[in-house]
Amino acid sequence: MRLFAVLLLTGAAIALLAETGQKKEFTPSQKRWWAFQPVKADPSATIDSLLRAKMAEKGVAPNPAADKVTLLRRASLVLTGLPPSPEETQAFLADAAPNAFEKVVDRLLASPAYGERWARHWLDLARYADSEGFKADETRPNVWRYRDYVIRSFNADKPYDRFVKEQIAGDELYPNDLDAKVAVGFNRHFPDESNAANIRQRRQELLFDITDVTGSVFLGLTYGCAKCHDHKFDPILQKDYYRLQAFYANTRIEDEAVLLPGPELAEWSARNAAWEAKTAGIRAEMKALLDVPRKTKFDDRLSRFPEEIKETILLEPAKRTPFQWHMYMKAKAQVTFSDAECANALRGAPAKRYAELKKELAAFDSIKPADLPMAQTLAEMHTEAPKTFLLKSGNFEAPADEVAPGFLSILDASDANVSNGRRSALANWIANPANPLTARVMVNRVWHYQFGRGISATPSDFGLMGERPANLALLDHLTASFIADGWSLKKLQKRIMLSAAWQQSSDNNPASAAKDSENKLWWKYPRHRLEGEAVRDSMLAVSGRLNAKMFGQPVFPPLPAGVVTRGGWKVNADPSEHDRRSVYVFVRRNTRYPMFEAFDMPDTHESCARRNMTINPSQSLELMNSRLVTEWSRSFAARVRNDGGQSLDGMLERAWKLAYQRQPKEAERLTARQFLERQTKLTGDEAQAWADLCQTLLSTNEFLYVN
Amino acid sequence: MNKHLRHHWNVSNRREFFARAGSGLGAIALGSMLAEGAETPKKTHFPPKAKSVIWLFMEGGPSHIDLFDPKPELNKLAGQPMPASFGKPITAMGTGGNTLMGSPRTWTQHGQSGIWVSEWYPHIARHVDDMTVIRSCWANGLNHVGSVCQMNTGDILAGRPALGAWVTYGLGTANKNLPTFVVLTDDKEVLGGPKNWSSGFLPATYQGTQFRQGDTPILNLKPGDGVTDERQRSRLSLLKQLNQHWGADKTEDTDLDARVKSFELAYEMQSAGAEAVDITKETEATRSLYGMDSEDTRQFGHNCLLARRLVERGVRFVELYCGSGSGWDAHSNIEGNHGKWCKVSDKPIAGLLADLKQRGLLQDTLVVWGGEFGRTPFNEKGNGRDHNPWGFTMWMAGGGAKGGQYVGTTDEIGLRAVDKPCHVHDIHASILYALGMDHLQMTYQHNGRAERPTIVGGTIFKEIFA
Repeated sequence: MRLFAVLLLTGAAIALLAETGQKKEFTPSQKRWWAFQPVKADPSATIDSLLRAKMAEKGVAPNPAADKVTLLRRASLVLTGLPPSPEETQAFLADAAPNAFEKVVDRLLASPAYGERWARHWLDLARYADSEGFKADETRPNVWRYRDYVIRSFNADKPYDRFVKEQIAGDELYPNDLDAKVAVGFNRHFPDESNAANIRQRRQELLFDITDVTGSVFLGLTYGCAKCHDHKFDPILQKDYYRLQAFYANTRIEDEAVLLPGPELAEWSARNAAWEAKTAGIRAEMKALLDVPRKTKFDDRLSRFPEEIKETILLEPAKRTPFQWHMYMKAKAQVTFSDAECANALRGAPAKRYAELKKELAAFDSIKPADLPMAQTLAEMHTEAPKTFLLKSGNFEAPADEVAPGFLSILDASDANVSNGRRSALANWIANPANPLTARVMVNRVWHYQFGRGISATPSDFGLMGERPANLALLDHLTASFIADGWSLKKLQKRIMLSAAWQQSSDNNPASAAKDSENKLWWKYPRHRLEGEAVRDSMLAVSGRLNAKMFGQPVFPPLPAGVVTRGGWKVNADPSEHDRRSVYVFVRRNTRYPMFEAFDMPDTHESCARRNMTINPSQSLELMNSRLVTEWSRSFAARVRNDGGQSLDGMLERAWKLAYQRQPKEAERLTARQFLERQTKLTGDEAQAWADLCQTLLSTNEFLYVN
Repeated sequence: MNKHLRHHWNVSNRREFFARAGSGLGAIALGSMLAEGAETPKKTHFPPKAKSVIWLFMEGGPSHIDLFDPKPELNKLAGQPMPASFGKPITAMGTGGNTLMGSPRTWTQHGQSGIWVSEWYPHIARHVDDMTVIRSCWANGLNHVGSVCQMNTGDILAGRPALGAWVTYGLGTANKNLPTFVVLTDDKEVLGGPKNWSSGFLPATYQGTQFRQGDTPILNLKPGDGVTDERQRSRLSLLKQLNQHWGADKTEDTDLDARVKSFELAYEMQSAGAEAVDITKETEATRSLYGMDSEDTRQFGHNCLLARRLVERGVRFVELYCGSGSGWDAHSNIEGNHGKWCKVSDKPIAGLLADLKQRGLLQDTLVVWGGEFGRTPFNEKGNGRDHNPWGFTMWMAGGGAKGGQYVGTTDEIGLRAVDKPCHVHDIHASILYALGMDHLQMTYQHNGRAERPTIVGGTIFKEIFA
């Protein structure tokens, strides 16, 4: 069925291609393509008027509003990834004010958990990971600052246009803003091979990654195929691909961007200078000892590079061309060796002497300033950018015509006319309210995360192979309001959540379903499963274990026995760290955290706009047998038995309210009582029986779905 | 409700348990998961020649010129720099200017077909009449991780689905109680780890499952300590009751039913998975055939035996690493390195081929042997060889592959494939062809492109097959 649908779609696309022929001119249908047209909004419309107009055309009736408990649970899960507490539930149920729900939305949007929840969505898009990938998958020690930046940005309701500009060119546009420096790390999240011998190829692959991710995340265009040829369906030329890439041609990795404001940095430098002065003799002797193995290592590594790279590394800096500078910077990490690496290679007397010196040096630790806080990010390379060429078939060894930085020809065919500060030009073009893509793409993403499906179901593909928006007028209406509201994501969220459409029940209505089985008209709220991270966080919250501490170094909860990771996984000594929110769990590129992997966490090698939502036995095994879920269930049971009063009914009510925010129904009470009796008999332990009950509650559909 | 409880309280076995507990377990439960998932067999494009694949992955890169591709000319030129006419390549370790190193192997022709095999593989050599030896393979990567990744996914950059995931996507399962795509490794981690059996942009349902050693091959397969079968069944029946309560007015939502069903699958998998890896019923003769009676070959022999048990039970794609973590990577002392790994792999692989054949399974099982690349004719560190993705050997046996033939050749020193170069994409296309799948028609819509296993390449080498 799916294959068939794909074939049909391809057929349509090929028909369009035939229309295009070999001409470089865009066809009328390409020029008319909805995503490239200016946003047209009717100021008098509302979300509901636009949706209901479509429903009326088809004779479909919208669902009535969901009950208050469902609504509260939905709002909490969508905005914070956590279920509401029994107290929050009680407060909302008791609030008869007409704006009671609005108050809930405001409370949730102001909660720090909001940023943690929505940052995770953005990190999917940013292909965020705490490690390099490839063979060694080494830890990137400072990328977590980017994750914190995203959380803070969502919580602060940073205007989205500013958020975009910071991530593309924050270093250029806001040079005194340390946050903006971290933000540029967005395009530092490519997987990278630390020991690549073919540096030219590696650099080109990184540029491909950056160009592709920039296009899909900010513009909702998947134009990766244009690296080899003009896009077969969308009006994107191969030349455009390299024009866009040229904005990044002069960008390099910066893994030691210092994050201290001027005065503090000056103070740090003064203290450091004092330490250096006192230790100069010791350090000079240490350096001399290490220089021997360092030279050996350098020579050995150098010999593995192709001639071209060898020459570049050995060349006098002043003589390097801009392109050679890029080669050099990429190779540098491979021919630079830490003191620890070199010290490991020492043997005999030098090793002994080095150990003594190390001890002597440590005596001065008390006057040594702490390590500087640093970001892993990107920065401009050189005063002059290396040339960018269109590459035949995307082959880095087959350059064709030179291209200058420029935008998509369909929107703006002229060159950008910049030499330095190139990324600023790109950022300003993308984050411009007149750009027909940027705001629309983000509005659709928000709708996607709010409903589990976007107005266009392909949030990173607004091209011909993507899905056309089911209601373009709605998308445009929201986009216009979004821009008018100063690109405020919180206002947009609130606008959506206060609509009748969002508050509808998810119940089936056979009459509506007969006319619109896929719910493309949004006559009901689409029920959808929680992501693995939200499942884990919800379980931690319900069991009373969640450690709400925010920010900082990633955490390493224990891994199931037998799961190995190259690159290391040092479990936190403090067990309360294991119960931090999922967004803080270390993301090892080659080995996803098993529970998240089972629940479709994206593979962090490319940007992910829409998670798969599979149902598979490994998820069930996780819920049935994993040590984690078993432990959390014990905590949940202990909490229930502790808080539920003396009566069995009181405890059952507590359990249901924690897990589902409602009372158990009569039939459920009976089932549960019988289960407890049975399980107590089987295990000989009432506590165990309760833990079994609680684990079962955490495995139900009611717990796992946003209803 | 009470009636239900009593019912499955008294059941005598699992089948009955689910039959009774699952009053709502009808065709609807085969909802979206089953329609879209790996759970149902699907139609093929061609009549299939094979039902399963066992891929013997010699990780690290075995030397073709010391195993299957004898080069007399190389021995003549040994000690000299490589003649410029062969074209100096960029290599991983910068060894392109080093002198050529001959192969000290003893070569013999084997079987009716007279296929050449060196003395490093005496047991495997007996099966050449069942093998097509492809001596013209080539790939793109220079380093292990990219090359292992390409051999698995078609691309040196991680992120695409593994071939086994495509096969699962295309063919569905033949045994829903076991994973369709299983990976077996040695003690060490494969370079690049689970990326190599990832489902990439395909749904997670299609990803490979790495079987762990011991009696719990799948993560979380075993109930926790002290959880008896009865206790677990009791929990699952409660779960079903609660789900039915909540789902009573949501019967149109096939996802909810599919999830109920997935717990039942998981429950069945607990015993089916444990049974599949339980070799206590295998005879001494069988164990010995796989070399399990000798320390050198015990572990890999065990995995080869598991591979047979898995394909016997309907697993479609078994990927079996030998030397996981770059074992075969003989940059120096190739004698010691390959001497060891050939010994480790020779008898178990020969045992696997013999066992498959005697059980009538070989005709339906395509066995593929190879590394991520071969090794260079020039020396590294005097007694080793560097990575060679420009020309190397792989072989296929069973599953419709013709016996006793060569496909393709390398140049006179074994550096580059010259006749009928067979790229990784061609290998993938040919394996899919054996399974009845057309790599060009097997597509999945992702980020605006109809993605396929062979990306933009791939030619089916029909001459491999009878």
